[in-house]
Amino acid sequence: MRKLQRILHVAWNDLRIMVGDKVFVFWSLVFPMLFIVLFGLLFKASDSAPAVAELTVVNLDEGRWATYFLGKIEAPTIEMKIVTSEPAEYSRLIVLPADFSARIESRRDQALAFKKREDASTKAAARVETRLFQAIARVLSELVLYGDGDLAKFLDGHAEFRDIVQVKSRFPDNTVTVVPSGFDHSIPGTTIQFIMMMVIIYGGITVMEDRKKGVLARMLFSPLSKGEVFQAKLLGRWFMGLVQALILIVVGRILFKLNLGSFPLALLVIAVFALAMAALSVFIGSVCTKEDLIIGLAVLLANIFAGLGGCWWPSEIVPLGVRKVAMISPAYWAMDALHKLRFFQGGFADILPNLGILLALAIVLSVVAARSFKVRD
Amino acid sequence: MRRLLLVLGNDVRRHLKSPLAILIYIAIPMVMTALIGIIFAPRTEESTLPPIAVLLVDQDKSFVSKILLGAFDVDEMKKMFEVTVTDEAEGRKRMEKGKASAMIVIPEGFTLDLLDAKTTTLTVVKNPAEQFLPDVVEEFVNTLAVMLSGAVQAFAEEAKGIRAMLDAPVDAIPWEALGPELGKAQKKMVAAGKYLNPLLIRLKEEKTKAVGAKTQVTKTDLFSIMLPGMAIMFLLFIVQTLMRDIISEREDGKLRRMMTTPLRPMELVGARLLGGWIMGMAVLLVMVALGTLIFRAYWGPFGWFLLLGAAASFWTAAFFGFFSAMVKNRNQAGALGAPVILAFSLFGGSMMNPEAMPKAFRAVGAFTPNRWFIDGAKLVREGNFPLVPLIVLFASGLVLAALAVPALRRKTSV
Repeated sequence: MRKLQRILHVAWNDLRIMVGDKVFVFWSLVFPMLFIVLFGLLFKASDSAPAVAELTVVNLDEGRWATYFLGKIEAPTIEMKIVTSEPAEYSRLIVLPADFSARIESRRDQALAFKKREDASTKAAARVETRLFQAIARVLSELVLYGDGDLAKFLDGHAEFRDIVQVKSRFPDNTVTVVPSGFDHSIPGTTIQFIMMMVIIYGGITVMEDRKKGVLARMLFSPLSKGEVFQAKLLGRWFMGLVQALILIVVGRILFKLNLGSFPLALLVIAVFALAMAALSVFIGSVCTKEDLIIGLAVLLANIFAGLGGCWWPSEIVPLGVRKVAMISPAYWAMDALHKLRFFQGGFADILPNLGILLALAIVLSVVAARSFKVRD
Repeated sequence: MRRLLLVLGNDVRRHLKSPLAILIYIAIPMVMTALIGIIFAPRTEESTLPPIAVLLVDQDKSFVSKILLGAFDVDEMKKMFEVTVTDEAEGRKRMEKGKASAMIVIPEGFTLDLLDAKTTTLTVVKNPAEQFLPDVVEEFVNTLAVMLSGAVQAFAEEAKGIRAMLDAPVDAIPWEALGPELGKAQKKMVAAGKYLNPLLIRLKEEKTKAVGAKTQVTKTDLFSIMLPGMAIMFLLFIVQTLMRDIISEREDGKLRRMMTTPLRPMELVGARLLGGWIMGMAVLLVMVALGTLIFRAYWGPFGWFLLLGAAASFWTAAFFGFFSAMVKNRNQAGALGAPVILAFSLFGGSMMNPEAMPKAFRAVGAFTPNRWFIDGAKLVREGNFPLVPLIVLFASGLVLAALAVPALRRKTSV
C-alpha cells in the first residue's frame, strides 16, 4: 500500500509540474484546438455537396421532346438553368442538340454532350449524372412501353411511368440517424494525435533531462526503488495523456457538441492508448540523449501513426493496401474503437479486440521501457 | 573573416558528427509526402474510386433477385462494386469492421410483387462511418430501380403469365398455349431493341476547365505541390536545432571560454548566423534532391528556386538568431520553438492547401515564411520569377537579422 502511495506521490507531482508549465497549455489545448477547428471546417466543407446541385441545360432542340426529357430530370435536389448557348461559367452542362426531337422520332440514337468542370464538386456532379441516367432510363422505358407507333404523337398522351420498385435508405438499427461529420471526426482524431505527440515529446524529454541532471539518481535517496521510480514516471505520463484527452473532450463537448457515443467506453479506449504512449515516451526518453532527437522522433512517429491510423481523413478514401498497413499504427486501433462507439453505438464487447491489442501493446512497451530505463547515463 | 570561417567550419564539422536528429528531420517530410501522396494521388481515369464493397442480402431467393445479383457480375459493374452475398447480421458486422460501404436488402416476396406489378421496396443500409461511398451505392440502386420498374411495366402481360405458372401445378399449365405468348414477348423484345441497342439516348461525358483554370493534378504534380510546404516546415525545425547552440554554449560556459580566445563577439554572431543560413541551404538542397529522386518532383527553373531557398534559409537563420537572443534558456527555447514552427506551418500552408483554409487562417498565414516560400515555389514551378516572395523573405530576414545581431552580441559579450 505504501509502495503505491509513493508511486502515486511522484506521479502526481510530475503531473503538477507539467500542468503548471505554460507550454503544456499550448500543446494540450491551444494547438490541438487550432487543428480541430481547421480540420473540422475542412471536413465539413469538403464532405457536403451543395444542397441543390446545379445543371446548365443548353436547349437547342427544335421539337417537343426536350421539355419532356427535362421534366424527367426535375428533382428537388437539382436546379436547372436553361440557356440557348454555352455560357463561360458553369459547373456541369448538358447539350440538347437542335435535332434532339427529330432523332428520337426517327429512332436514331444520339449521345448528349455532358460536360463537367474539373474543379466543381464531384459529389454534386455524381448526383446530377445519376439523375440524368435515371431520366434516360425513364424515357427509354416509356418508349419501350408505349412507343410502338408514330413517335410524333407519343407526347399527346400515354400512361405515366410507375416507380414500381422503390428505394429506401437507412443506417443500421440502433446506430445514428445522421452521418457524423466535421468536428465529430476532427476531435477524436486530433485528441489521439496530440496524445501521441504531447506524451512522447514532453514525457520523453523530461525523463531524459531528469536522468541527465541527476534528478532520477537523487530520487533513489528517498525510499523509492528504481522500479518504483520507473512506475511513477510511467504513471505521470499516463496521467498527462488522460488530462489532455479530458481537456479536449470537455472543450469539444461545450464548443462543438461532440458526441462520442458511450463516454465512459471512449475514455477507456483513450486511457489504454495513452498508457501505451506513456510507455513509449519513457522508452524514448531512456534511450535518447538529445532533446532534438526526441522531438524529431515524436513528430515522425506521431505523424505516421496519425496519418495511417485515420486521425486526419476518413478511412473510406484510403486505398485498401494502406488500410492493411495502417494496422501497425496504435492510432488505428484507437480510432477504430472510437468509430465503433460513435457510428455504431457499439458496446464493450464490440471494442474488446481493440482494447486487447492496445493493452498488449502497452504491456510490451512497458516491459521494453522498464528494461531500458536508467537513472544515470 | 578568417576567424569567422574557422568557427563556421568547426560548427559544420560538429553537426556532421552527430547528424541523427537532422536526418530524422529530413526523413519526416519525405515520409509525410509519401503517405499523403499515396492516399490522395489521382488514380487512373477509368476508376477514380476504388471498387466499393457492397453487401447483398437476398431475402427473396427467387429468380428476379438472382437476376439482380447477376447484374453486379457484369465486367463494368465489377470495376465499380465488389459484391458479397450475406445476411443482415453478418452484414452489420462487416460494416462495423469497415469492410463494406452499404448493404442492399432484397425483401421477401420481391419477385412475386414485381410479377403482380405491386409496389415493392429495396432497402439500402448505409455504413454510418462513411460519408461518400454509401451515397454512390444508393444512387446506383435508384437507377437500377427505375430500370427494373420500366422492365416490369414493359413485360406486364408476360409477368402475369409467369405468376400464373408459378401458382399452378405443372400438369395444369397449358403448354401448347405458351407458343403465341412467347411470340408476343419476342416481338416486344425486338421492339425494345430499337431503343436499347444501341441506347436511343446516352451521355457522352467530357471534363472541362474554366478559362485560366489549372489542369488536373497528376501524382508528380501532387508531390511537387506538397514538398515545398513540408521542406520549409522541417527547414525551420533543423535551423532551430542548429541555432540553439548559441543558448546551450552560453548556459554550459563554453561561450565564456571561447571569448578568452582572440575572437570578437561580432565574429561569433556572424559565424552562427552564416552557419544557420548555409546549413539550412544544404539541408534544403538535400530535401530537393531526395524529392526529385524519390518522387520525381519538379521545381521549375532551378536557379530561381535556389534563390528562393537562399532567401528562406536566410530568413530562418535570422529569425532563430533573434529568437535565441530573446529566450532565457534552452528549456524555454525548446518549449517555445516547436509551437512557433507548428503555428507557422499550420497557418502558412505547410499542413494543408492554403486555398482550402478558412479566410482568417489564410490572413494570418501572410505573416509566416512558409506561406511566402510555398507561394514562391509555386511561381517558380509555373515558370515565373518569384519577385514578391523573394523581396518579402529577404527584407523581413534583414529586419530580423538587424534585430538579432545587436541582441546576440549583448548575450555573447560575457
